[in-house]
Amino acid sequence: MRIVALDGVADRLRLKRGQGVAEARAMHPQLDVLPADAAADQAFLSALADWCDRYTPLVAYAGADGLALDITGCTHLHGGEKALLDDVLSRLFQLGVEARGAIAASPGLAWALARFSGAGLSGDCVIEAGEEVAALGPLPVTALRLPETLADTLIRLGLTHVADLMEAPRAALARRFGPLVFLRLDQALGHDDEPLSPRRPVAELSVERRLISPVSGEDDILGLALQLATGLKTTLEARGEGGRQFELLLFRVDGKVFRLRAGTSSPLRDPQRIAALYRERLAAVHDDLDAGYGFEILRLCVLKAESIASVQDDFSGQPDQSRALADFTDRVIARFGEDVLSIAILAASHIPERAASLQPAGDTVFPAGKRLQPEEWPVQPVRPLRLLTHPERVEVPAADVPDGAPERFFWRRTAYRVARAEGPERIAAEWWIDGEDAPTRDYFRIEDETGRRFWMFRNGLFQRERMHPDWFMHGIFA
Amino acid sequence: MAENAVPRETVLALRDAIARLERDRPSGSCRPTLETEGERAGFSASGRPVTRSADVLPLGVPALDHAMSGGLPLKGLSEIRVAETRDAGAATGFTLGLAALCQARRKAQGELGAILWISETMAGQEAGEPYGVGLSLLGIDLRAMLFSRPRNLQQALWIAEAALRFSVFSAVILEIRGNPARLGLAESRRLQLRSVGSGVPILLLRQAGEEEASSAHVRLFVRPAPAAPFMLPDGTMLTTGIGHPAFHVVAEKTRAFSPVDAYLEWSSHARRFYPLDPVAVPLPANAADPVPVLPASVGRPGGAPALGRVMAFKRAS
Repeated sequence: MRIVALDGVADRLRLKRGQGVAEARAMHPQLDVLPADAAADQAFLSALADWCDRYTPLVAYAGADGLALDITGCTHLHGGEKALLDDVLSRLFQLGVEARGAIAASPGLAWALARFSGAGLSGDCVIEAGEEVAALGPLPVTALRLPETLADTLIRLGLTHVADLMEAPRAALARRFGPLVFLRLDQALGHDDEPLSPRRPVAELSVERRLISPVSGEDDILGLALQLATGLKTTLEARGEGGRQFELLLFRVDGKVFRLRAGTSSPLRDPQRIAALYRERLAAVHDDLDAGYGFEILRLCVLKAESIASVQDDFSGQPDQSRALADFTDRVIARFGEDVLSIAILAASHIPERAASLQPAGDTVFPAGKRLQPEEWPVQPVRPLRLLTHPERVEVPAADVPDGAPERFFWRRTAYRVARAEGPERIAAEWWIDGEDAPTRDYFRIEDETGRRFWMFRNGLFQRERMHPDWFMHGIFA
Repeated sequence: MAENAVPRETVLALRDAIARLERDRPSGSCRPTLETEGERAGFSASGRPVTRSADVLPLGVPALDHAMSGGLPLKGLSEIRVAETRDAGAATGFTLGLAALCQARRKAQGELGAILWISETMAGQEAGEPYGVGLSLLGIDLRAMLFSRPRNLQQALWIAEAALRFSVFSAVILEIRGNPARLGLAESRRLQLRSVGSGVPILLLRQAGEEEASSAHVRLFVRPAPAAPFMLPDGTMLTTGIGHPAFHVVAEKTRAFSPVDAYLEWSSHARRFYPLDPVAVPLPANAADPVPVLPASVGRPGGAPALGRVMAFKRAS
């Protein structure tokens, strides 16, 4: 067992990473050793990254133990770069996280400074433009994010500090060590571009409220959501758009962040309807949303926006029908999820189960776009009202061969006697999907003595495709 | 006299043609309703205007319409019950027929006429999922139809209640199985009140359920009935074929004194119900257990239930 990470106290005891635990215990018997848990570390880092969303929407992981925040254009909201860094570090300290930070013009330099700057430097880790060389020079070469073996080689050659690399002849070193060393150096100095890859896509629009005293009541949250939605409305109107997907971020006082997503079936910008969506979402997540000591920041983001034509209400006083339907759909979906509401979609296929299917109604806007309409249906066949999800095996003791209807059958452990039958309607398999030896189905509409009407099929032609074809119940007529 | 022979032959031929036309009614053995021309225009035989309330939906079947005092109530809860799961087809057809009538009524007013069919998961698994092609053939506009498959009854009730707030729906169908305790008197009362408030009728389709006390004004018990013979365009009856969907509907709970029953069939072409003469229903020759064609007995359909089943009065039913 070896030490992989140390806290500040252990660091001052001159313990080192990679040291054996037994050796460290021998030096300091009172040492507290915890097993490393990479998954928990990752989860914690992810939660911290969520928490950092309060400063900028662009938060990226920087290695397994750090976060990179792109604060371009965000600093004035927090009173400048220095104030922002102080705010981050002091809040993290209050959360019990020992963190170090640096602000620089390139991610590479900030990474290096946050990890390797000496204790004296930690006070002013905000590097202004033009100070990069001076700041990076005294740092060890390991600050350049190089692979461990490469860094070791460089150190053994006496190139211990970045300044040594800066002065060394480039061409010779690049030939020997590959292009990575100078790529990292240029990236850190800002000569080469290095984009951050944020964890989450940046929302198209977002509005937030920071609260002096945290709120925890559902009504307060809804009221604030309505205010935020009202704030969004003007911008959405100016862009001629409405949101299709919204996200409400709730930053809890102790650092946990809740994200509530709500989708709509048509672009939306009416604050009341957005708030109504969140009323359903909050009711749905009721138990999972632990308000704790309250939420201090609320942010409403538009993740997906689409253009909408402005609609003017007429004078009839009746609300627009399709809008009302979309409103209902959105509310139900916000509460119970997407698969609760569906619509029937017809397709051009003769195989019954492929001809019609129930699809989630979420992204369908009434009236529907391009799909097969009932009028376009090629023939007017006889089809049942209800189709069994899986055709059920029916035992037929007696049927006319080769292609007659059954006289008696057993279905769900009940005997039925056939009074009348219509058929067969022969439906051949779709060989381009099912393969060439898929059996042909002979469908019969059958009425039993009491008037129940069923739809049964013989799976395969008698003695031609199957020796003794099976019978299946597939649907129920009115 | 000889000159008149040819015209007489013509007249006979014409008479024959007329007779065939008259026999050639649009939908099988459907007979026209008892409604006279005057009644259709809004006056009864006695000269008084027929009161046509906007709150009822006449089925076109006089016996049932009379029992339900004009027709299916458009404001409120109506229950459609079927005794066994295998009869679900008949109940579904009848309920969807009612929904199609509601939809047609709304469409005539230039509205969308949306229908919401909420189906408990078990109900769909046992009796089959709604099939779009079949629904469309029954005469329902699929473009204005929404299906809902909630995970449990609580969700189903919530969705039904939410839908009843939107007057865009022309009908809401709530399909459940059996007599769940979670849908008791209080819940049905809620649905009833919401429906009365918004004017959206709610049809409770109860699969394999027993009669129980509820707030529904109307409870109809549906049984499948053999389809009437289908009339071909040339006037011959197709006795081997299966005609329009036929139902035997017993109005179990209405304002009428005693249960009323009627045979009716749904014509998807005309999109309406036609009364069916029970006598005209041909019984299969080999029927060991023919369908009951007698009207239901007074008081309760199918005779009084057996005694000694109720062990404890747990529920108000």
